Amino acid sequence: MTQKSHNPFSTARLEYPTEQKPHYDRYARTGVGSSAQVDKTPFPRMIDLWWAGLSVSVRKGLEPVDIGKGKTTFFIPGSIFDSDPWRIQVLQLVALRLKGDPEILLNPPEIITLANGLAAAGIPDIVEMLTSGDEEPIWNLSNATEKLLSE
Amino acid sequence: MKILRAKFTNFRLLRDVEIDFSTDPAKNLTVIRAENESGKTTILTALQWGLYGDDALPGGASEFRLHPINWQDSNSAASISVEIDIEIVRERKTRQRKSLRQTKVYRVIRTAFETPSGNEWKRDSSSVTLHEQTDAGWEAIRLPERILAEELPPELREVFFTDGDRALSFVEADSRASKRYRVERSIKSLLGLDVINTALGHIKNTSRKFNREAQDAGASEDINKVVSKLESVASEIDRHQGIVAESALSVANIDNQLSEVNKRITEALRKGDRTALEKQLSRVNADWERVRAGIKASSDAHTNLFKSLAFSRDVIGQPLTEALEELDKLRAQKRFPKASIPVLEDVLEAQECVCGASLDPNEGAAHSKREHIQALIEDSRKADELQNALTDLYFTSRALLETLQSGNDSWTNQFNKVAERRDDLEGRLKDLGEETRELEAQIGQLSDADVGELQASQQSLRNMRERKSDERVRSQTELSHLSARSERLSRKRDRLLREETRGARILANLRVAQDVESVLDRAYSRIKQEELVKVSNLMNTYFLEMIGSDPEQSSIIRRAEISEEYDIVVYGGGGRELRPDHDINGASRRALTLAFILSLTKVSEAVAPNIIDTPLGMMSGYVKRSVLETASRESSQLILFLTRSEIAGCEDIIDEKAGKVFTLTNTGHYPRMLQYEPDAEVSQVVRCACDHRSACRICQRRGLDSAAS
Repeated sequence: MTQKSHNPFSTARLEYPTEQKPHYDRYARTGVGSSAQVDKTPFPRMIDLWWAGLSVSVRKGLEPVDIGKGKTTFFIPGSIFDSDPWRIQVLQLVALRLKGDPEILLNPPEIITLANGLAAAGIPDIVEMLTSGDEEPIWNLSNATEKLLSE
Repeated sequence: MKILRAKFTNFRLLRDVEIDFSTDPAKNLTVIRAENESGKTTILTALQWGLYGDDALPGGASEFRLHPINWQDSNSAASISVEIDIEIVRERKTRQRKSLRQTKVYRVIRTAFETPSGNEWKRDSSSVTLHEQTDAGWEAIRLPERILAEELPPELREVFFTDGDRALSFVEADSRASKRYRVERSIKSLLGLDVINTALGHIKNTSRKFNREAQDAGASEDINKVVSKLESVASEIDRHQGIVAESALSVANIDNQLSEVNKRITEALRKGDRTALEKQLSRVNADWERVRAGIKASSDAHTNLFKSLAFSRDVIGQPLTEALEELDKLRAQKRFPKASIPVLEDVLEAQECVCGASLDPNEGAAHSKREHIQALIEDSRKADELQNALTDLYFTSRALLETLQSGNDSWTNQFNKVAERRDDLEGRLKDLGEETRELEAQIGQLSDADVGELQASQQSLRNMRERKSDERVRSQTELSHLSARSERLSRKRDRLLREETRGARILANLRVAQDVESVLDRAYSRIKQEELVKVSNLMNTYFLEMIGSDPEQSSIIRRAEISEEYDIVVYGGGGRELRPDHDINGASRRALTLAFILSLTKVSEAVAPNIIDTPLGMMSGYVKRSVLETASRESSQLILFLTRSEIAGCEDIIDEKAGKVFTLTNTGHYPRMLQYEPDAEVSQVVRCACDHRSACRICQRRGLDSAAS
C-alpha cells in the first residue's frame, strides 16, 4: 500500500485522558482480554480505538483536547506504527493540513501532541457510535460509520 | 364405569399431563387431538397400566421402559405415577324391592420407581392404591386389585381400550385360531358365560364323587374296574383340557407380543437406520464446525475493518485529500531550493570569498561576513532536512493518494461484503443447528428400538407359538379319543350299576348330576346361541351402517356375522364368504372391529368407556363420518384419540357430540413440525385447550394449522 518509511514517532508516547480509560477497557480487546467477544469489543487493540477517535475528529474538524492539562494514561509507544506504516504518513499529512506549516514535519513530538489531542476529542463520538442502536456494539458502530460516510 | 380424569407423571413423554373426560350423557364424546408421536398410544398404555397393572404393559413389564427417555439425572430414580378418577354406578334393591342407584367415585393411583442405568433400567413391581370419595374426603379401600378386577375384567381390556391397529387382531390376527380365541374370550367374559362354565365344572366334580361312592360301596369287581378307568379318563380329560386352554391363552398372548414386536420393527425401520442417521449427524456436525470457523473468520474480518487504511482514509476524507494537494503544491513551487553547503564551507576554510573579499577571522571586517555565511549554511541544512522529509512523505504517500483518487474498495463496500457473509453464515449455522436437533431427536427415539434385537425376539416368539400350537393340536386329538372312551365306559358302568341293587341309589344320584350337567350345558348353549346371535346381529347392523355409504364396499359386502365357532365372518353377494383380512379394505376392517366392540358392549349392557386410538385412520368421506356418528351414539362414554387428518371432514359431528376437546403436542417436534419454539427445555407432551378448530403457539403445526389464535 505505502512504501516502507522511517518512523519518526518510534519513541513518542501515545496517551489518552485517564477519564477515557473505561472506554479503552471496554471496547478494545487488548483491554478486555482473550475472553472478549468480537461483537462487543470491535477494536482489536487500544491503538485502533485511539486511531478511530483521531480519524473522526479530523473529519468533523473537532478542536484537539489539550490533554496536558489533565491526567493522562500512556498506553503504547509510537513504535506501534511500524506495524502499520501508512499511519505515519497519515499523521504527517493531517499535521501538515491542520498546522499549515511544512516545518511541523520536523517536529514529531508536536505531531504526537496534536494526535493525542485529536484522538481524545474524537473518542466521545466513537462511544456514541458504539452505543447508539439496538444491536451489538460492532453493528452499531458499522451502521453509524456507514451513515457518517454517506453524509 | 366412566373415567372422569387422569393425571400422568413421568410416564415416558407424559412428564406432567392432566386430562379430563366428558361425562355428559348428551355429549358423551371426548376428542383428544394429537399427531403421531404426541402421546396418544402412551396415554392409552398409561391408562391400562394404571387400571390393570404391569401385565398391561406392551411386550411385558420387563421390556417396557416407563421413565422419559430424556431423563436428565441418569443416577436418580424416576418416580412414575398414574392417577385415574373413575365413577361407578351400582344398582341395588332396597328392602321394599325398589331399585336404588348408587354412584361412587374412586381414585386409582399406581406408582413405580425406575432407576436408569445407561440404556438399561431397574424397576420393582408397581404398587396401586384405591380411594373412595366420601363426604369426609378420600378414604382408602383395601384390596384394590380385587375391586378393579371386578369392575374391569382383564380379559375385556381389549374391548375397552382399543388401539386402532391392535384392535384389528379380532379380524386379522396371525391365525384363525388366535382370532377365534380373542372373540370367544371377549364374548364369554362380557356375557357372563364363564359363570355357567364354572358351574359345569362343579357338577362334573359331583359326578366324580358319586363314581367314587360306587367303588366305596363295595360294588362288584367289574364296576370297580370300570369306575377306576372312568376316573383315570376324567383326569386325563381335565389335564388335556387344561393344556388346550393354557396353550390357547399362550398363543393369544404370544400373538399380542408378536403384534407389538412387529409394530416396533415397522416403526424402527420407518424412523430410519441408526448407523445412517449417526453418519448424517456426524456430517452435519462437521459442517457446523466449518461454518463456526467461517463465522469467526468473518467476525475477525469485520473487526479488522476498524483498523484498516480504508476506514482512516474514508473517515478522514477531505482533509487528507487537501493535505496531499498541499504537498503537491509545495513540490511544484520548489519552495526549498538547495544551497551549496560544501561551497560555503570551502570559502570559510579558505578564508576568502568567491568574490575575492577576505574572510580571515582575525580581521574585524570579515567577522560579520563569516557569521552571515555560517547562518546560510545552517539555513540550507535545515531546508534540506525539511525537503527530505517532504520528499519522503510525497513519495510514500503516493499509494495513499492513488487509493483516494480511485475510490475503489471503499470501506462501505468492504463492510457490505462482510455483513452479507456474516448473515449468510449465521443463517447456515441456524439451519445446521436445527438439522442437528432433528437428527438427535430421531436417534433418541431409536434408543430402545434395536432392529436386530427385535427381529431376534420376533423369531423366538414365532418358535414358541409353533410349539404351543402343536401342543394344543395334540391335546385336542387326545381329547376326542378320551371323550369317546369316557362315553363307552359310562354306558358300561350304568349297565353294571343297574344290575346291582346297591348301585341303584348311586345310579340315581349320578343321573341327577348328569341331568343338572345337561341342563347347564343346554343353558350355556342357549345363552351362547341367543346372545351370540344378538351380538352378531347388532354388529352386522352397525357395520353395514358404517360402510353403507361406501359404494366400493357396499356393493361387495352384504352381511357380517359371528359364527358359533366365534369366527367373525363377512359375506358378499351370493353368500360368498369374504376373508376380512384379505378381501375387504382397511377402512372396512376397522369399521368391522369397532362394530364388534360396540355391539358386544351394548348387548352385555356394560356401562364402560370405549377408549380408541386412531379409529378413523385409513378412512375417508362418508365412512369416516358414519363410523364416528355410530360410535358416539352407541357408546356410553367414547374417548377418541384423533389426528388432524382423521378430524378433517368430521368437524361438525365433533361440534355436536363432543363434550370435551383438547390438544396434545410433543414439544420435541419443534422446529421440524411445530411453528413456534416451545417453553419446555426437554421434549415432552403438553396439553393445550385448543379444540378441533383452533391452534395456538403451543400446538400450531407447520403446514397444518392456520395462524395461531
